Formats: sequence, structure tokens, C-alpha cells
Amino acid sequence: MASRAPQSSLITRHAPIDRVFHWVTAVAVLLLLGSAFLPILGLEFSWVPLHWMTGVVLCLAVLFHTIRSTFFRRLKCMLIFPRHLREFAQGKKAAKYTLPQKLMHAVLGFAVLVAAVTGAIMLAKVDTPLWQRDPYLLDASTWGVVYVLHGASALAILTLTMTHVYFSLLPEKRAYLRAMIGGQMTREEAAEYHDPARWSGQRKDDPKENDK
Amino acid sequence: MEIFRITRNAWGQETLEGMSWDLLPVAFGLGLAFIVGHLVWRAVRRNRR
Repeated sequence: MASRAPQSSLITRHAPIDRVFHWVTAVAVLLLLGSAFLPILGLEFSWVPLHWMTGVVLCLAVLFHTIRSTFFRRLKCMLIFPRHLREFAQGKKAAKYTLPQKLMHAVLGFAVLVAAVTGAIMLAKVDTPLWQRDPYLLDASTWGVVYVLHGASALAILTLTMTHVYFSLLPEKRAYLRAMIGGQMTREEAAEYHDPARWSGQRKDDPKENDK
Repeated sequence: MEIFRITRNAWGQETLEGMSWDLLPVAFGLGLAFIVGHLVWRAVRRNRR
């Protein structure tokens, strides 16, 4: 367990702000999936207020993460280049993020982005204390496209969330879940999938953290 | 199984309403199939080691 490990063997994987973002997003996505799909399955409740309010929280979280990771963090460490595929095929250890982690982030991130953007447009159809509904913002056929994109991304998010939770619960990947809760993992746990020369977990001393 | 929900108005014009919710069990099933498939692959790989 990381909590029992000597302090010197612990390395930081996620900053507190990134962990807060992750868990806010996780709770928001679960609430959004529940409020969207449970009424379809027959559990009737007033789902619209919960759905749009949680949607606004998710949009703000996504906006915050996009700005922070694009302008204030190393975006490159999350991008996928052909050499990552070659390295993965050769069994080489990764830098901070493994190829499967990058793929999950890219696909789930894209689906959440589509759901957030289309959901933000759909807010025009809801009366709230902050704005009046305007269902004529778009014509009927354009609304149809927005609904299709929102529904398709929601279905994709359901599938991807199931697999994401499954991987986080696997015993051999449990260190990542612990790191997403407490921020840290041991050097030994990190060395299982990550090359210490490419990611040491000590950002100030780690010029290669940006996945060179 | 429908892929889209489409309504027709009094003049017979079709309007796209969104994705068909017939796809909800498909999305859930895909997730479940992936998890079961991965568990099997993982068990086979461990037994070979």
C-alpha cells in the first residue's frame, strides 16, 4: 500500500487540482448518465433539473480542464504519435501515460466534449432562473442533428465509462486508482509500466516528463 | 432495431428526433462484452506465463 511505503519511495502522479477535476467530472458524468437513461428504463422522476444543472457543472469542468491543459500544462504528454504505437508494440515502457491510458483519454474526452457542446446548445430549450428558453434558436432539422450527436456521445460515454471503471478496479491497475485518490504511487508501482528515465514523478527534476 | 428516432408531422414531413433508445442495451452490452473479453484474455495470458 502506498500509505505504508517509505516517504522517499512515493512519487506524485496527480496534482490535487487534477484529482478534484477528475472526481467532479466522474460524479457529473454518472449523474448525467443516470438522469438520462434511468427514465428511459422506466424509473420516472423529474430528471430535467438534475440533468441540466449537472450538465452546466460538467461544461465548466471541461472548459477549465481544456484551458489548463492547453495553456498551463504540457498538452504533448497526452497526445498520441506513431512512435507511441511502435513503442507499445515493442513492449517499451511508457512515460507518464501509457498508450491505453492515452487512448481512453482521447476517446472518452472526445465523447464528453461532444456531449458537453451539444448539451450547452440544448440549454436553450430549458427555462432556468438564469435564462429564458428559446426553442427557435435552431431550425428543426438542426436540432435533430444536435440531439443525435448528444445521444450518440451519451451512449459512447456509457460504454467507455464501464470499461474505465473496470480497468480502475483491476488489481494490477489499482495503483492508478489510489494515485487518483491520494495523488501518489510508489516508484516500484510506477516502474511496472513506466520508464523512470522518461517519467520520474518529480516534475521539477524531470525535463522529460513531456514525453520526449 | 431503429438507429434514429424520427417523427412525421401532419404533412408527412420527417423530423430527426435523436438516437433511438433501442441502442441503450447495445451500448451496455458492448461495455459488458469488452469487460468479459478482457477478463478472458487476461486469464489466458496469465495461465500461459
